[in-house]
Amino acid sequence: MKRFILSIGVVAAALSFSSCSTEEEPTPSPSGTGTLSLNFDYVWAMSSMPFEMETVLYHPMTGDSLTYTTFKHYVSNVKLIADDNSTYDVPESYHLIDLMDESSTSITINNIPADTYKGIMITFGVDSARNVSGSQTGALDPANEMFWSWNNGYIMLKAEGTSPQSGTGNFVYHLGGFAGQINTVSERSFDFPNGSMITIDNNDQLNVTMQANPARLFHTYGSVSNGAMVHMPGPAAVMMTADFNSWVRLTDAQ
Amino acid sequence: MNRLLDSIKLLALAGGFHFFSSCSYEPEEPAFGFYPSRNFPPVEYSSPRNPITREGFELGRDLFYENGLSLDSSINCSSCHAQTHAFADHNVPLSAGVGGKLGKRNSPALINLAWMPQFMADGGIVHLDVMPLAPITDTLEMALPMQMAIDRLKCDSEYRSKFEKAFGTDTITSQRIFFAMSQFMLLMVSDDSRFDKYLEGEALLSDSERRGYSLFNTHCANCHTEPLFTDYSYERNGIDSEFDDLGRGRITLDPADDGKFKVPTLRNVELTYPYMHDGRFFTLEEVLDHYSDEVEPNMSHRLPQPLNLTSAEKEDIIQFLKTLTDYSFISDPKLAEPRR
Ligand code: HEC
Ligand code: HEC
Repeated sequence: MKRFILSIGVVAAALSFSSCSTEEEPTPSPSGTGTLSLNFDYVWAMSSMPFEMETVLYHPMTGDSLTYTTFKHYVSNVKLIADDNSTYDVPESYHLIDLMDESSTSITINNIPADTYKGIMITFGVDSARNVSGSQTGALDPANEMFWSWNNGYIMLKAEGTSPQSGTGNFVYHLGGFAGQINTVSERSFDFPNGSMITIDNNDQLNVTMQANPARLFHTYGSVSNGAMVHMPGPAAVMMTADFNSWVRLTDAQ
Repeated sequence: MNRLLDSIKLLALAGGFHFFSSCSYEPEEPAFGFYPSRNFPPVEYSSPRNPITREGFELGRDLFYENGLSLDSSINCSSCHAQTHAFADHNVPLSAGVGGKLGKRNSPALINLAWMPQFMADGGIVHLDVMPLAPITDTLEMALPMQMAIDRLKCDSEYRSKFEKAFGTDTITSQRIFFAMSQFMLLMVSDDSRFDKYLEGEALLSDSERRGYSLFNTHCANCHTEPLFTDYSYERNGIDSEFDDLGRGRITLDPADDGKFKVPTLRNVELTYPYMHDGRFFTLEEVLDHYSDEVEPNMSHRLPQPLNLTSAEKEDIIQFLKTLTDYSFISDPKLAEPRR
């Protein structure tokens, strides 16, 4: 008897697990759905030349020479703004962009309800709730090494590399913090260019292109010689992420 | 072919037995799960997607005792959290991780974790479901990158079938590893000490123990509060006035929290020496001498001055603390290393 009850327990547990699981996609509504392709381009400094990993880049403001070996950051809670100012909030929208993996810079989101849209909202970083609700999966899986095990919270942005201006020859910036004064997460809203409105019909694809600038980390912080290592939440992390996040722009939507 | 037939027979037999037992009139045991003492407050742990099952618990226990979760397969959680010591380390101030590297703090007892709002002496870990990540990956502890831990388990067909039994499919993810380990650690409940039996009217305390209980209530219970014998606050108990280890301050970045540590439970304290976050005191006598005579003044409004206890009072408090030892907890076969 006992064994039997237990096996039902397991099935129930399995069912309840899968019904809460985040990988499943909601069934398309009859009105039809389209796809959002959200692409991130990276440029370097004011010259707007393309940013490249594993390449010596000269920082015009600080005079540093920087070679990035790691650049990863979180983008989350994507929302599309409709012409009536209502929003479509993409469910379970957590994305880890890793510039050593070209494919991660292009995010595809299915099941966008047919509607006329005029802009997009994007959170840079991971919202505070997900930092404290236990073990997560997908982009938020701690096996991605973007989660501080000893001081819980996500590393919202990780930049590592080498620079002759750093005392050790290396720089390591693990930037995070989601609470109170030490908040590195910001939600930003972008209108489509020239006030354009874009209507998504069934099976349409909306392409949105964003641009970000890794040189911005040093905009206020200054040279890596001011401190080549940040590995916990604090004022430096807040400053560097604020400068990076605030520069991000929307360059194209069609 | 013969073998196949044999195993089919075996299966049939098992099926038959199953049928037989489901028709018998055995009294039904309560479903496997979490049955804390009724004197305890509501639990803190919340993870709606992780119901406790026998299979999940047993998988979590296997993982807790699994050397494969350390880089060189030399240690497991129980190396620093031994059941005989109420899941604290084997009476060493600092614990040795992979390659004998010493950690920075004393390994605490693992007791009644379902009620603990934050983990570690500084509270830097905020959910039991991510707790194992720190010891598994810390280079001073088990030193294994999480992805490698997952890959190792994936290569083991026994583990794959255990994950399937526990979670319905044999997919192995960090989340499932953590869920199973939480299920095991949640059942580390200690609520059956002689003191608990005394409260239930099933045991007596000696005169000295009763005097100790009342002194404890006067001097200690404001921080080490019943029934868990901690209020889980962060406090300075006057062991230092300058802080090598910032404790809570390292997490909050608020200088007012420097030198504060989580108030530890005193259940099973007889077994968990040495004491304090750095294991500086080896005996309860030393601890009581500290609270009596050596407390740094004005470090906490709940312990502003040394308590000035007589040696008889200290002895009575120690006698009382020893009533908190829970022999059924440290010998519970359910929590012991499974035989393989
Ligand atoms: C090398 C020794 C070592 C190993 C191995 C180890 N731990 Fe620990 N554990 C510690 C130390 C030391 C602390 C306290 C650290 C602190 O407070 O900063 C601790 C703290 C904890 C805590 C928090 C308890 C509290 O009171 O806050 C839990 C839970 C825990 N460990 C579980 C585990 C699990 C699960 C494993 C196996 C995956 C494990 N430990 C492996 C040494 C170890
Ligand atoms: C102001 C709050 C406070 C009061 C009052 C207090 N303690 Fe503590 N106690 C703490 C804190 C905080 C720690 C942990 C310190 C550390 O980790 O360094 C602790 C640690 C201990 C430990 C070590 C436990 C372990 O596992 O390492 C013992 C034993 C202890 N206290 C006993 C007592 C006794 C007995 C009294 C009364 C005479 C008392 N405490 C009063 C806050 C308090």
